[in-house]
Amino acid sequence: MPPTGSDPARMNRKKGDKGFESPRPYKLTHQVVCINNINFQRKSVVGFVELTIFPTVANLNRIKLNSKQCRIYRVRINDLEAAFIYNDPTLEVCHSESKQRNLNYFSNAYAAAVSAVDPDAGNGELCIKVPSELWKHVDELKVLKIHINFSLDQPKGGLHFVVPSVEGSMAERGAHVFSCGYQNSTRFWFPCVDSYSELCTWKLEFTVDAAMVAVSNGDLVETVYTHDMRKKTFHYMLTIPTSASNISLAIGPFEILVDPYMHEVTHFCLPQLLPLLKHTTSYLHEVFEFYEEILTCRYPYSCFKTVFIDEAYVEVAAYASMSIFSTNLLHSAMIIDETPLTRRCLAQSLAQQFFGCFISRMSWSDEWVLKGISGYIYGLWMKKTFGVNEYRHWIKEELDKIVAYELKTGGVLLHPMFGGGKEKDNPAPHPHFSIKHPHTLSWEYYTMFQCKAHLVMRLIENRISMEFMLQVFNKLLSLASTASSQKFQSHMWSQMLVSTSGFLKSISNVSGKDIQPLIKQWVDQSGVVKFYGSFAFNRKRNVLELEIKQDYTSPGTQKYVGPLKVTVQELDGSFNHTLQIEENSLKHDIPCHSKSRRNKKKKIPLMNGEEVDMDLSAMDADSPLLWIRIDPDMAVLRKVDSEQADFMWQYQLRYERDVVAQQEAISALERFPTPASRLALTDVLEQEQCFYRVRMAACFCLAKIANSMVSTWTGPPAMKSLFTRMFCCKTCPNIVKTNNFMSFQSYFLQKTMPVAMALLRDVHNLCPKEVLTFILDLIKYNDNRKNKFSDNYYRAEMIDALANSVTPAVSVNNEVRTLDNLNPDVRLILEEITRFLNMEKLLPSYRHTITVSCLRAIRVLQKNGHVPSDPSLFKSYAEYGHFVDIRIAALEAVVDYTKVDRSYEELQWLLTMVQNDPVPYVRHKILNMLTKNPPFTKSMESPLCNEALVDQLWKLMNSGTSHDWRLRCGAVDLYFTLFGLSRPSCLPLPELGLVLNLKEKKAVLNPTIIPEAIAGNQEAAVNPSSHTQLVGFQNPEDDHLAKEASCNMSAHQQGVKRKADTPLGSPLEPGQILEKNEDSSKVKLKIRFSSSQDEEEIDMDTVHDSQAFISHHLNMLERPSTPGLSKYRPANSRSALIPQHSAGCDGTPTTKPQWNMELPRKGTGKEQPPLEMSVHTAAAAPLSVFGKEPASSKHSEHHHHHHHEHKKKKKKHKHKHKHKHRRDGRERGRGPLAFPSPAGGRSARSPSLSD
Amino acid sequence: MADAAATAGAAGSGTRSGSKQSTNPADNYHLARRRTLQVVVSSLLTEAGFESAEKASVETLTEMLQSCFNVDTLPAYAKRSQRMVITAPPVTNQPVAPKALTAGQNRPHPPHIPSHFPEFPDPHTYIKTPTYREPVSDYQVLREKAASQRRDVERALTRFMAKTGETQSLFKDDVSTFPLIAARPFTIPYLTALLPSELEMQQMEETDSSEQDEQTDTENLPLHISPAEASDLWSLTPWPPSSLSPSDSCPCLLRILCSVLHCVTWHSRLPLIAATAWPPLGQREAH
Repeated sequence: MPPTGSDPARMNRKKGDKGFESPRPYKLTHQVVCINNINFQRKSVVGFVELTIFPTVANLNRIKLNSKQCRIYRVRINDLEAAFIYNDPTLEVCHSESKQRNLNYFSNAYAAAVSAVDPDAGNGELCIKVPSELWKHVDELKVLKIHINFSLDQPKGGLHFVVPSVEGSMAERGAHVFSCGYQNSTRFWFPCVDSYSELCTWKLEFTVDAAMVAVSNGDLVETVYTHDMRKKTFHYMLTIPTSASNISLAIGPFEILVDPYMHEVTHFCLPQLLPLLKHTTSYLHEVFEFYEEILTCRYPYSCFKTVFIDEAYVEVAAYASMSIFSTNLLHSAMIIDETPLTRRCLAQSLAQQFFGCFISRMSWSDEWVLKGISGYIYGLWMKKTFGVNEYRHWIKEELDKIVAYELKTGGVLLHPMFGGGKEKDNPAPHPHFSIKHPHTLSWEYYTMFQCKAHLVMRLIENRISMEFMLQVFNKLLSLASTASSQKFQSHMWSQMLVSTSGFLKSISNVSGKDIQPLIKQWVDQSGVVKFYGSFAFNRKRNVLELEIKQDYTSPGTQKYVGPLKVTVQELDGSFNHTLQIEENSLKHDIPCHSKSRRNKKKKIPLMNGEEVDMDLSAMDADSPLLWIRIDPDMAVLRKVDSEQADFMWQYQLRYERDVVAQQEAISALERFPTPASRLALTDVLEQEQCFYRVRMAACFCLAKIANSMVSTWTGPPAMKSLFTRMFCCKTCPNIVKTNNFMSFQSYFLQKTMPVAMALLRDVHNLCPKEVLTFILDLIKYNDNRKNKFSDNYYRAEMIDALANSVTPAVSVNNEVRTLDNLNPDVRLILEEITRFLNMEKLLPSYRHTITVSCLRAIRVLQKNGHVPSDPSLFKSYAEYGHFVDIRIAALEAVVDYTKVDRSYEELQWLLTMVQNDPVPYVRHKILNMLTKNPPFTKSMESPLCNEALVDQLWKLMNSGTSHDWRLRCGAVDLYFTLFGLSRPSCLPLPELGLVLNLKEKKAVLNPTIIPEAIAGNQEAAVNPSSHTQLVGFQNPEDDHLAKEASCNMSAHQQGVKRKADTPLGSPLEPGQILEKNEDSSKVKLKIRFSSSQDEEEIDMDTVHDSQAFISHHLNMLERPSTPGLSKYRPANSRSALIPQHSAGCDGTPTTKPQWNMELPRKGTGKEQPPLEMSVHTAAAAPLSVFGKEPASSKHSEHHHHHHHEHKKKKKKHKHKHKHKHRRDGRERGRGPLAFPSPAGGRSARSPSLSD
Repeated sequence: MADAAATAGAAGSGTRSGSKQSTNPADNYHLARRRTLQVVVSSLLTEAGFESAEKASVETLTEMLQSCFNVDTLPAYAKRSQRMVITAPPVTNQPVAPKALTAGQNRPHPPHIPSHFPEFPDPHTYIKTPTYREPVSDYQVLREKAASQRRDVERALTRFMAKTGETQSLFKDDVSTFPLIAARPFTIPYLTALLPSELEMQQMEETDSSEQDEQTDTENLPLHISPAEASDLWSLTPWPPSSLSPSDSCPCLLRILCSVLHCVTWHSRLPLIAATAWPPLGQREAH
């Protein structure tokens, strides 16, 4: 992992645990944000901010703030004009001359760019020079007021304008604007210190049309009309110290509802939605009460506002004393399915009000504590509201999610900086993005990060008890609220920031328990545990011999050592055993309690004290074991594959009372398609007391079992008679009862059963006619007139069921799909879909669930060859102006079409939408869907993969998405999926250096064929020996290399793949040799430079932006601050600094295209020295003009220092890289042999007890 | 009226002779009516104390009577105490009607009507007979009917919409078998998606007030239709704000169709009204 610019000094400081120290040489105490003009037509904002700061060092002469997108007109400090420069290296991550197209390179550069402006490291895009008149003032550490006039024109991120194009005034049109973004994104809409750790009090003023309402943080002090009465100004005051990142705004013609239960809570929604708002928020006060009760702490802010807006960036965004929700969460009392989801969103946002908004984090590496706590208390709320079953089900779901993600994609590290130098033990799990900064993360990773955080918090609870846990939270909150009420004192306010170490200290203080091992395992380390359990019963010793193996070599796994609970259900009862998992012990003997073999009369006591009768005839006569569960409490983040006989799973399903166990049994039973499994599942389905989600899962399992048993299946199709009994009329069993959804459990079952039934297949692998007729009848006789609830979700699921019943068309000679050869069953299905889809136009359903299902079904029909595959229908539904759910469903179909039909045109259409669509969520979602269902992958040949596409995507992530962190990371994800880490194979020229290096390492793999190899090569480029190689370019050995390069080149040009170990001796074309010779002089020149700079190539590569940036700052400080000059594109700045270099660089590629790919490396090597020099000169020259000699020298020293740090770190990294490389090699060697296969061990030992 | 004087008898005979000239039955009727009126006028004159009147006077009075005849005051006048009973006209050869239909008792004349007046028609011609089709009580048939009814209406309506508007098609070679109404973006999409339609709201209110009973599925649908509800059906024409905007291409008929459909689909108490009122719709469209 390359350095990202976050200096180790800070890490050390944290380890020392001396409380919080600001990375800035000043402390912010108060900020005024005043937006005095908002133009919806032009989508522009004009205003100013005023920051009140106290210098903490005497020689403060530059102040760095965050600002993106904003046009800054004027900066004044204490009413004196101040010079400033504005430079945002994230606008364009890699500069135009770079043709490297290498994701590794990009990721490093991006991480460096983000760090270069990271407020947590004291950096910022805006650098203001303190006027010399004030230096004396500063030396006395007196207050400074920085006044910045700015405007925003058509912001692409940060503030989102929604302006419907209808007649009427903006208010009548429902136009609104709101702040949005991922993590700290406030800098997108006003200059600030955009860090979660810089707290201050706030005064917020917004002047808007009289018909509009501005909602912001804190208390609304007053609203003042302007003289002409056409506008009014909303004045908000936030006296609780809050970070800029938690400041938000929403302006629109909102309808206002004061919560009838709590008058300090106000809800806002868009016009016409007030009735929905009333219903939706009527529940919120209960959430409030719950949190206040468990935390024994009042809600920290004096008021709370919820705002529901359209085109939301995320469904829920929590800010200080205010949450912004998607308007699509609103629902009426008739809607069943949305209600729990919306309530969950409300509860989530409220939990984040306490932890996330009120209590903020010290640094990104402490984020997990906040996400963990808010997720954990939200879980407690779930348990109380929806019951323990739902809670446990949720935990299991989350656990499965994180396990699946980590095993597939790589580990999730909660505390990325904690380990410091120890990263060697835990190599970066995600090669294509840096996890050291929130803005470089893949969105999916961040979602999983949150998931893991709350699961780990639950593990801590398991260890120290819930009571202590809540005490810790209470302690954090009460400390924070004491601090918040204080006047400005820098050390007090930091009590409102949570850090990992502070949190752990609180835990040990409150509970007196040592949770260090737990933290080490789950927080400081990434990965999950993979257990394989199998057992045998030793009759003689009456002992259960349990074998628990672990796989800790696969990516995303780790080794677990420690206690593990195992629950054994015997005839005489249920017994818990705690095993100690150690390094080398696999086998554990567990003594059995049941002495009596088979006590027929006795009831069998279960874990919960209940005693039940069981039919024990299925059991093994010799064994008293009913079932065994490994880690039943989910006290480890793990995946357990355990071996049990089928009857044991069946007993577990029927009699174990834990829903998680039941679900595990259901998924295990898929492997045992027997009549006994069928019976067990059917019994569960029929059992009313059984948790409805378990019953729903049983439906799908039953369908799978029925399909496996198709040749021996007797009776009507699975579930048919059950459904008839439960939901159809007594007198006419083919007609479903009129809808009555009063019982939600049976509602969900009624919805699900037909969907599962549609998956049934007969011996010809077709959906049985009987099932199709059954579903069509359900649709026909559906009657909702007497129902209190809407049946839109039910009807949508019926369409899903129809889609599930579709099987691939039998096609003769690839005939064209026309109406004439349409299968009659499909005709019926189409008839229904057409009618449903058309009816939606006249009587739309809630959230258009039916349209969504219809679109999906049509895509299924297309994919199965019944209907001609055609994206035009979906494209029309994907247009802006349709409801977002419809758009996403349609886009999903287009994405699928792009993949199946390999359509370049559609891919282009999608990418255009990614660039231009007005809704950020849709843009993000397209990239996300393309990543999940890619048109091709790096290991695949595809006609779609061409240079233009590479360039387009590269451009997108390099500069096209600079306004939205999430989008840029999405583009990176997609690029990674399509092309991998290294140079995309479709590019015509391989990189010379790569071949060189591989040669030297005696690697025989052609990097262009095996992408990972190239990935390794990037690291190898650091190796100084490669330089020497380059220097001696003209010696005979190098001719070989050149030859190889050229062969590779030509091979690529012909589109032919070559194995790497093909001989090097292919003849050279004369022209190429000539070019090489010509070029070698340049190479030499370059090399001399780089060798003098000792092996810093990549290092500079990664940090050059920040370097350029710094030097630039120093240079630019003397320039006048005109608006024209205030915006420097980094590329310009660099070319200004090193003109001769860039000229050479630009010239070569055009004349000698074959050497294109060599240039970037040259570039990086060559640009290094001028940069270095410029830093030095800059440090020396302009600073002296500042006239503060001591200060300037200190600064330059600082830079040196900084640089050295990088070097040191770099060296470390190099070692690591080497290490990694070797490891890679090892792994490659082992290849498909994989790890000592647990499966093998398993198969050797039969799961059956009779063995 | 004072100067008008003629002998009632002369007047009567004069007209009688005239009647013989016409042969046409309509004229016949007309003349008979006129004759009766002249008799009436004459008797009124007699009642008023005249003994004779000139023919011209009687004609004038008859004309006047014909033109200013106030029906409302007639019953009271007919029942006046000192009325004069006019003797039956001489032509009274009644055809003996065959009494094929007999229902109930023939009603006698009320006292103020002279007995020579024709009898009331047979009771079956005016008695209200409450007859109705045997109510369809078979649950299965009812459900079947309701279901196919709704389906027909929906199909007819959507096809109509598809024919009148822009469509999309799943098959390139065929645009009519599965016509899909073209997707049209909304200016404010969330309103349509989130707000329940007016009918849904109404339904919700109704089910709220009558608190859905635990066993809705009594296997009997309530069939009573009150006229008030039937007229409700037509008052639903105003569009819910969320429904597709009644654009210029949307004819009046469509609105009506839609509201019918609303009723069929949503109105809780109208299971079959649309079925009886609009059977041709589906068929018409289907042919």
